[in-house]
Amino acid sequence: MTTISRRDLLAGAGALGLAASLPLSARAAGGLTAAIYPGTWEEAYRGVVAPALKKSANVDIAFDSLFAVDQVAKVRAARGVPPFDCFVLDPGPAASAMQAGLFEPIDAKKLTNAAKVPDGLITSHGVTCNAQVVGIAYNPKKFPTPPKGWADLFKSPYVERLGLTGFQTTFGTVSIIEMAKAFGGSIENMEPIFAELKKAVAKAAAVAAPAAMPGLYQQGQIDIMYTNTNTVAILKGRGVDIEFVKPDSGAITFQTTLHIVKGADNVENAYKYMDTAISAEIQAALQQQPYNMIPINKDVKLVDTLDIKSVDELTKMVTHDWTKINPVRAAWIERFNKEITK
Amino acid sequence: MAGAAIAAAGGSAPGDRVEWRLAAPLGLTYLVFFAAPFAILLGISFYADAEQTRLGLDSWTKFYGDAFYLKVIFDTLKLGLFAVAATTLLAYPLALVFRASGPKLQRLLIFIILMPLLTSVVIRTFAWIVILAREGVVNQTLMGLGLTAAPLNLLQTELGLVIALTQIEMPLMLLPLLTIMNQMDQNLVDASRALGASKWRTFFKVVLPLTLPGWIAGATLVFASATTAFISQSVIGGARLVYLPALIWQQSTVVYNWPFAAVASLTLLFTVLAGIMALGWLGRFAKTN
Amino acid sequence: MQRSTLSDVTYNWIVGLLAGLGILILVAPVIIVIATSFTTSQTLRFPPPDLSLRWYRELFDPVRSAPIHTAAWNSVWVAFVATVVGAVLSVLAALAITRVSRPSARLLEASFLSPLILPSLSYGLAALMFFSVLGIRPSLNLLIAGHLVVIAPFVFRTTLASLTQLDPALLEASANLGASRFYGFRRITLPLIAPGIAAGCFLAFISSMDNVPVSLFLSNARTGMLPIRMWGMMESTLDVRIAAIAGVLILATLLLMIVMDRLTGLTKRMSA
Repeated sequence: MTTISRRDLLAGAGALGLAASLPLSARAAGGLTAAIYPGTWEEAYRGVVAPALKKSANVDIAFDSLFAVDQVAKVRAARGVPPFDCFVLDPGPAASAMQAGLFEPIDAKKLTNAAKVPDGLITSHGVTCNAQVVGIAYNPKKFPTPPKGWADLFKSPYVERLGLTGFQTTFGTVSIIEMAKAFGGSIENMEPIFAELKKAVAKAAAVAAPAAMPGLYQQGQIDIMYTNTNTVAILKGRGVDIEFVKPDSGAITFQTTLHIVKGADNVENAYKYMDTAISAEIQAALQQQPYNMIPINKDVKLVDTLDIKSVDELTKMVTHDWTKINPVRAAWIERFNKEITK
Repeated sequence: MAGAAIAAAGGSAPGDRVEWRLAAPLGLTYLVFFAAPFAILLGISFYADAEQTRLGLDSWTKFYGDAFYLKVIFDTLKLGLFAVAATTLLAYPLALVFRASGPKLQRLLIFIILMPLLTSVVIRTFAWIVILAREGVVNQTLMGLGLTAAPLNLLQTELGLVIALTQIEMPLMLLPLLTIMNQMDQNLVDASRALGASKWRTFFKVVLPLTLPGWIAGATLVFASATTAFISQSVIGGARLVYLPALIWQQSTVVYNWPFAAVASLTLLFTVLAGIMALGWLGRFAKTN
Repeated sequence: MQRSTLSDVTYNWIVGLLAGLGILILVAPVIIVIATSFTTSQTLRFPPPDLSLRWYRELFDPVRSAPIHTAAWNSVWVAFVATVVGAVLSVLAALAITRVSRPSARLLEASFLSPLILPSLSYGLAALMFFSVLGIRPSLNLLIAGHLVVIAPFVFRTTLASLTQLDPALLEASANLGASRFYGFRRITLPLIAPGIAAGCFLAFISSMDNVPVSLFLSNARTGMLPIRMWGMMESTLDVRIAAIAGVLILATLLLMIVMDRLTGLTKRMSA
């Protein structure tokens, strides 16, 4: 294995304290280290983006598989010694990282594909690489008539088959905010939804970590959950009985963004990486099975497995302001813990 | 052998002094790789706010002033105790059967005992979903036998979690217990039986005291492991059951309140350590009696 | 032979039943994992609709599963080095405080056990903060050190338990006969505590292979670790290869046990 060099072997087997104190840089010259979500994202970026980047710019990329929250935690802990050059984040963690000053500013002029991306998707500190659409997923074999809106999830017979997740993920948080709106609440007033959640918790089929949801769904413990179209398309592509439905109040959309880590070693290569990721060719490839990522490049013609028709459709969907959500999210999480615990 | 034992009992306990030279390599390794990070953690816990701008005891008072968090500590320790009780109840009979078995059966048993360790925690949680879910193996068996009409809720309950932890932690209890059980002098057991003691009495008066060091080692590992088993707790237990590790995860990676996460971590460390030291004390107490 | 009393009969029954239940609980999830690994379906699902070796072929495919192979070798290497070095240090430490009832020994025992209890996540984060302050980036060696700290308590604790069973008179006797301390250790102590050390090493190795949090924060992009990869596969695609990995590990252990059994059997016959 190339990753275990002889030097590692000797060092590892030798005096341990000494060995570990040798600052071994993992970066090759002309390289780039990017964080990536484990699973499909990693497969997609390894399989599609990395070869394209190597071909077009001769940049070798190494991926560090980490969920968004872990990326931010890792960079915060390693302040001043960034463990990687590029983030990939959802809005929640992105807003926290922004607040903590973990990003380098973005100069859109360095991105040749910037004009192909709708306005507002390249910001002062981030480049959108993918859109996510969140709604309700259900098992069509168990429910011939799907729930119509967020409020239906709290009614029988749906609530008994519902898998609830809390505020720890971006998709969970925005879904619960929309549920709050369905019961007359808002970001400023979450009382109505907490009252509903409290009632639903006793009846719901599961209240679980998001990571457990696909397994619970597959084994029939739950038949309804809220999630993104990406997850639904992947599972459907693998033969799972699952369908996506847009709630009557509209599906939710948010962006997945790439950022350059403050103090990154390979800033120029990071621009090349981001530029490659948003190019029409790559975006078109990433929307195919088994990746199913919603493109944001206007030149890409959308395939029909994605549950949306065009990039423009995204602009009509529900969006959220994370600078308002983040300050109150800790309190929501605490309250969720306290109210749903038996 | 017997003569030597008598001689030792008469003499003074050898080396009632920590041999620092032998402890030094591990001690120094820990000093660099554990004590320093630990000190950082301790330092962070004295920041008053999530942004770490102000010093103060706020994180500590918030944690200990809230009945909810005290209940989380209590639930976490309770989960550890349940896991120890359940693994003990099943491990001792298994160890006795192991001791009574021939070498072939012993090898098979060892393999069975090691099995849970060979399935990664990731896939193990899936297996427990399969077993405990509404349409799972247990419910289908019970309903097939007509023992229950409606499916039981096992997944995401404390009972379900304890059952799953029992499987996962059992090797931690059994491996130390078996090594001690195998070192046990069969003559003592035979003597007890020959003197007319029942099997129950022999177990409680001879086997149990002799194997206690193994049990304490096992119980220590099970208790420590069950109270910190974040993945099993959150996937099999679900979000309705909140334990300290899930709280620490939320606070450190979702809301980035590291001072609060540090307080929760140190609380977990000190309470579980206290539990373990109590176990050790129990062991010495039992020995002297 | 003694007459079987009612109490002895109930004893046999209860011990038998509980041991049976124990075996059932140990084995049932493993059987489900193995059965699932032979599925023909595209996702983890039990019961499998039909049986095939497709996911094992997929797992051993040098191209499609290349990142899994890399991560597996990384994990095995880290676990191996951490276990070996950790075992040596832990056995020495256990020898140092065995049979000492002073508070200093108890305190040392508690501190040697602490890494087992401090949540790995907090440890991983704090360790990363510490080493970043020193300007050290995550690397394979740092990862090994982190794992060593977290898994050493397993060997320490099981060795300590074995040592308590050791007859101190044996050592005394050998010392009285003029044997050096190292000779005494090698010829008397070590063989007797070897099963305890082995048990601890096994637990330590497996616990390193399964550790997510420390790996998360102390590894870098070139040191991907198996459990992290498996999490990604589980969460996003319910990839059946994670069941196949368990199948391979079980088979490998079984083969290893058979080989070791043959070897020890051989040496026994040769020495007999």
